[in-house]
Amino acid sequence: MSEGNLIKVGSPYVPDELKDTVTLTSLDHAIDALGELLSPVISPVANLARSNSVWPLTFGTSCCAIEMMCVGMSAFDISRFGSEVFRATPRQADMILTAGTITRKMAPALITLYEQMPEPKYVIAMGACTITGGMFNDSYSVVQGVDRIIPVDVYLPGCPPRPEAILDALLKLQQKIRTENYHERKKRTYNQRAVRYVDYDTGKLVDDLVEEARQEADAVLAGGATIALKSEEKQAEASEKKD
Amino acid sequence: MTHDAKPPAQPEAPLEPGQYGQFLKEHGIATNRLADSCGIETIAIQAEHLPSALKLLRNSQEVKLDLLITVSGVDNNETFDSVYHLWSYSHTNELVIKVMIKKTDVPEGKLPMVPSISNFWSAANWHERETYDLVGIRYSGHPYLRRILNPWDWEGHPLRRDYKQPVDGLNDKNPHSFR
Amino acid sequence: MATELQNVDLKTDEMIINMGPQHPATHGVLRLILTLDGEMVRHVEPILGHLHRAQEWQGQNRTWFQYQALIDRVDYLSGMFTSWAMARSCEQLDGITVPRRAEYLRVLVSEMNRITSHLLWLGTYLIDLGAMFGFPFYPFREREKLLDLLEEIAGQRMMFNYIRIGGVQRDPKADWFQRVKKFTDEFPQRIDEYEAIVTENPIFLKRTKGVGILKQSVAKDYGVTGPCIRCSGIPLDLRRTKPYSVFPELKFDVITYDKEGDTWDRYMARILEMRQSNEIIKQCLDMIPEGEIMAKKQMAGMRIKAGEGFAAVESPRGILGCYVTSTGGEKPFRFRWRNPSFCNLSVLSELLVDSPIADIMAIFGSIDVILPDVDR
Repeated sequence: MSEGNLIKVGSPYVPDELKDTVTLTSLDHAIDALGELLSPVISPVANLARSNSVWPLTFGTSCCAIEMMCVGMSAFDISRFGSEVFRATPRQADMILTAGTITRKMAPALITLYEQMPEPKYVIAMGACTITGGMFNDSYSVVQGVDRIIPVDVYLPGCPPRPEAILDALLKLQQKIRTENYHERKKRTYNQRAVRYVDYDTGKLVDDLVEEARQEADAVLAGGATIALKSEEKQAEASEKKD
Repeated sequence: MTHDAKPPAQPEAPLEPGQYGQFLKEHGIATNRLADSCGIETIAIQAEHLPSALKLLRNSQEVKLDLLITVSGVDNNETFDSVYHLWSYSHTNELVIKVMIKKTDVPEGKLPMVPSISNFWSAANWHERETYDLVGIRYSGHPYLRRILNPWDWEGHPLRRDYKQPVDGLNDKNPHSFR
Repeated sequence: MATELQNVDLKTDEMIINMGPQHPATHGVLRLILTLDGEMVRHVEPILGHLHRAQEWQGQNRTWFQYQALIDRVDYLSGMFTSWAMARSCEQLDGITVPRRAEYLRVLVSEMNRITSHLLWLGTYLIDLGAMFGFPFYPFREREKLLDLLEEIAGQRMMFNYIRIGGVQRDPKADWFQRVKKFTDEFPQRIDEYEAIVTENPIFLKRTKGVGILKQSVAKDYGVTGPCIRCSGIPLDLRRTKPYSVFPELKFDVITYDKEGDTWDRYMARILEMRQSNEIIKQCLDMIPEGEIMAKKQMAGMRIKAGEGFAAVESPRGILGCYVTSTGGEKPFRFRWRNPSFCNLSVLSELLVDSPIADIMAIFGSIDVILPDVDR
């Protein structure tokens, strides 16, 4: 899946899963080309607007989520910076604050949430647990850092970070948004999405699994037609069992 | 994992049965009294007598130990223990029951077996699933014995003393961990 | 045709719906697999463990001193109670007598912690019921004040690590007590404010009255503790039934209902408990003696005598205890937690059956579950 999402030559880009429903006309190409041409002029204005309305996703797994709640309340008031609109669905969110430990069981859900968010999307790794695993660094069930499964824009240390620290991270993120060029980012993020995916069932990296399967297939092919036939029979049996 | 750790020693001489040991003896269930855990009566019991003993202790009007605090599994060096902490909703007495299964009695590649009590005591349901998940004690007769905290296809039982945790792309960075 | 159709019962299929693990109202990462018949829930299967951080495994692999700092994360809304449960079980084993000033300080800070926990529950419960903005500002205002006071003595807003084996970590200054006194004086009026908004609110009453009735026999069967069981008519409060620390010297009421309570009763019980906690804090401030606060030297190579024992405290959610086995070595031999949320959550599948899907959050929220307390 990581290869499928890499940007190819020519823009605008339509992901594979939308190819059935989206038809690009020459007008779309023209608009996109115009946008790219004008982006040095438009970007600063658009970025100013974007940076002041970063809508976070209500994603909280543990202790940090409580501080995330506190920062939305009256004492700290994140709405001063335009981020008070906590969205319950990833489709409407711009930013994900990974508040709390990510375990092996939770990792697939986090990846799904990240994939569901529309571009441009940002990640703040909140708390020691999501940066390196923190205090639970060597537990058998904890992912050592959320940057192993999704790309991270701002690291926010603390266990849990104080609400003021969350505001600081948000300001840093806003600075980052203001100084970037959206068209440049679009190219980069798709490259960046080639993260290491983890298979939920086995806990192994998907790349490793693909490599294993490829090697098996090579071995089977090298072994000759008889073995290939046997493996086909096995597959047929397996599919019967599934049915 | 600390392999040299030893469980606390038990007294050599057999002790007199306490209040609950006496009660169970009157109803024909043999128990073996262990050293008290911080002043609380602790008894060991054979695995096959466990459900009947717990039913007695829970339902009899005079004893009424009807609050199951926890079911915990312990991997001692020679035995697997399934420990039941019993309290009461109406009075302050407590009791600790242990089912100890020798590691030498467990066949190779099999899990130690303890009869389940969750078919008559719902509180034990999740505790037994958790003990199965983490320590690897199989509760026979449990209605839904699946892993509860780890994913269903997890390998090994993490709280055993010979457990080796998986190392892959999710946790291979820290060279100083206890793995 | 029409007459034939009238005589036929419409057969509906059951629908399976997945809820979570990322859901804004599950207070964390619980996943429920619901089997629905139209609007009604027919079967629930909770899937836990999305926040399983291997606390018990950590307990076997850290020294006693290191593990003290970790356990606040077991139940992050009431870190004082987890510390206290561990401290009590280890003090039992070690035969330590805790100084009286330390005992009073423990009661004081833990009751403050109980109020913060209930306040956060109140705010988030109202969010679950649909009061998205507006109301939660009120309880969080008082919670911040309490957290500031607790931070001053413990150094952290939520992970206090203040109650240690043998005593407490640090002695507060004299004016700290005065500020706590000032808070307790004005807090009852604040509770009146919440009650004015919530208690008689017709929407709130419609959502909670008669919903999620927990029968006494069911609650006993599942080992439910805490406010949930007290609302079902069993006066089980460890502070009274098995008094520990200095609770025998303090005057307070245990909030118990004679009937089988619904979600509104559980809301009311927590409101009343906050008032009682406020009274306990006031008494502690008057009665606290001078003296030592620590009876065991806090150092990295700290050891606990060999043996095993179980000790529990009454946390905001129920009986929180730990079963410790020590070999006299640097590390615990086995550290087993008894978490109230884990046991209380198991009754959920019983409570939700035959209730409409809209009531799931009203019932689930009223049990007051903290997910790391379930998953450890």
